[in-house]
Amino acid sequence: MRTNRSGFILSLLVVMALSMLLAGCGGNGNAPAPTTSANGAEPSAEQTDTPKSEPVTLEFWTIALQPTFNDYFNDLIAKYEESHPGVTIEWKDYPYDAISQRLLTSTASGKSPDVVNLNTEFASQLGSKGALLNLADHLTAEEAGSYFEGIYNSTVFDGKAYALPWYTGTEVLFMNKKLVEKAGLDPSNPPQTRDELIEWARQVHQKTGAAGYAQQLVSKLFPIDGISILNEDKTAAAFNTPEAEAMISKMRDLMKEGVVLKEDADFTKQIQYFSGEQVAFQLSGPTFINFIKTSAPEVYANTIAVQLPTGKANLRLSNSMDLVVPQKSKNPEQAVEFAAFVTNADNQTAFSKVANTLPSSKASITDPFFTKSDGTLEAEAKVVSSQSLDKATDYMVGVPSASDINSALARGLQEILLNGADIKETLDAVEKEVNGIIKQGS
Amino acid sequence: MKRWARSESFSAWAFMTPGLVFLAIFTFWPILYGIPLALTDYSVIAETRYVGFENFTRAFQDHNFTVSLWNSLVYVLIVPIIQVISILMAILVNSRLPGVKMFRAAYYIPVVTSMVAVALIWSWLLGNNGVVNYLLIQAGIIDGQVSWLSSSSTALYVLMFITMWKGLGYYMMLYLAGLQGIPSDLYEAARVDGAGPLRLVVHVTIPLLRPHILFCTLISIMGAVRVFDEVYILTKGGPGTSTLTSSVYIFQKGLEQFNFGYASALGLIVSVIIGALSILVFRFNRKGGVNSY
Repeated sequence: MRTNRSGFILSLLVVMALSMLLAGCGGNGNAPAPTTSANGAEPSAEQTDTPKSEPVTLEFWTIALQPTFNDYFNDLIAKYEESHPGVTIEWKDYPYDAISQRLLTSTASGKSPDVVNLNTEFASQLGSKGALLNLADHLTAEEAGSYFEGIYNSTVFDGKAYALPWYTGTEVLFMNKKLVEKAGLDPSNPPQTRDELIEWARQVHQKTGAAGYAQQLVSKLFPIDGISILNEDKTAAAFNTPEAEAMISKMRDLMKEGVVLKEDADFTKQIQYFSGEQVAFQLSGPTFINFIKTSAPEVYANTIAVQLPTGKANLRLSNSMDLVVPQKSKNPEQAVEFAAFVTNADNQTAFSKVANTLPSSKASITDPFFTKSDGTLEAEAKVVSSQSLDKATDYMVGVPSASDINSALARGLQEILLNGADIKETLDAVEKEVNGIIKQGS
Repeated sequence: MKRWARSESFSAWAFMTPGLVFLAIFTFWPILYGIPLALTDYSVIAETRYVGFENFTRAFQDHNFTVSLWNSLVYVLIVPIIQVISILMAILVNSRLPGVKMFRAAYYIPVVTSMVAVALIWSWLLGNNGVVNYLLIQAGIIDGQVSWLSSSSTALYVLMFITMWKGLGYYMMLYLAGLQGIPSDLYEAARVDGAGPLRLVVHVTIPLLRPHILFCTLISIMGAVRVFDEVYILTKGGPGTSTLTSSVYIFQKGLEQFNFGYASALGLIVSVIIGALSILVFRFNRKGGVNSY
């Protein structure tokens, strides 16, 4: 009995000592404690401007670009290091799903990267929480003005620019020519507005049995129809309006009719539906082409791309990738300089050519690559979408709790459209929830 | 000292210590660390403030959290069903029927298959144009296509079915181990006393399986309350909040919205609930087994 107890105590001590020791390894000044730690908009104490003469190493993170674009980046980095003696770029690449976790863990352990590739949603979320450098302090007016305003402004809050736009994609309308022609419609004269698109979808459904299109029930459906999610000064919900009721009611009727699929279809499901010819239209960025090319070659051969019909707001949404400089970067000056170099017009044009993406710099789209089509679906989609970049914007709620608000709205839409909840009651409840989230401020 | 070093308990602790060290680092320490975290608005990236019990008061006013708790408790309903079916399956594969090894393997395949693969396969089977709708329409059970995962009336139950389908083989194996530990002379004695097959199960098998039933019920309840993979992959908690379970909600709050402080508070509340349920299960299963404890 005694040996039993002493063995237990010995093991317990070993376990506790080891766990404390190891858990302590990750400890840092950013660990939460019932005190206030300075990590706001002011540069942190560890952030020092390294004089230009001293050698610096910049850690540059991208999302899912290795190994496909190794040659492009190795050339780009070599060029930059050559023109900036003493600067070494350490390029790391992470999968899309992993980058946010990596950034959080590296921030928490005080080893922040210097230049990070993020999408606009995540960049604006981090920016509004004070985790990113305000680039407006470091850019000339000419540099800031070289990007499309709508995309550049997607990550500007309170006059602070938190990201440099990089490669982007805007939505276009893909049409299954076979189904459209079967419905007696002329694909060479495509719909121009959302209402026309709905008419086309209805005719396709009546004549062929296929649905018009599938969509994901997300908050951006409000701004597409000109309904603001928050009020001007972002202090309260602004979406609970008769216009929103009308928009949702119309969508519900379309789902009942079978014109729009009654489902919250994410991108993967949308690919499945279009590949299986269960829908005639698809509203998405050009990356969609790669998926149907492999999953349904015969459907790919029958697909054309045209400009996306706009809703009441007359805007086209883009999905951009940006470069940001974390607030905790130890070399902010050099980091901003490198980010500006990667996103300048020449480098963006070159990247678009190898990656088949759209640039966010105005000067790039004058290149013949973006104006001439060789008749392939990819080229059509590229020309069509690059011509609508001037109208493009990455719609962002623009408050620290944006993702809470987005998911509240998405849940509300699902409740109404899929679970049959009352429109007005649900909008009232979601409005109350969103106002609560804003008041909470986290 | 020498005698102590040779003792049985020393060997036992020596074997357990490596595992305990890992448990301490990756389980006990995070749980303990979650307590101070729950009292802050920690988000890794922004300034951390001490907020006291604000996260807890917010949790009880949070309609989505209440719904997620309710859904998790509804999920617990599959526990007795899983136990009954897996005990019957164990009895079946423990018999000397022909081809029993094949059944044993077949029942166990879903257990070793990755949940991601299982979820994707079921998402295709349950799609609007999936095999499930096709078969049910052919059989005349349903008139038109049913959106199994996009409808609030079916989504949660479909997910529960998938969880059950995947877990049955696991519990079957545990019960099988229990069955093989029951001395055969007990059955013989019961048979001499005139017990039929049903009586053997009710009066010999089930009482002697009680420790296994306790263990399986316990981990099954914990698994049901903490269910995450299949829900996150197939519905992400939707449509609306129909399938929002506590784990999915905690994940969304913490790792998608960076409200780690709030997520820690929610995690602690759920841990307390799981603890309370476990105590209840222990109270109901005090006796039984070959060696009563």
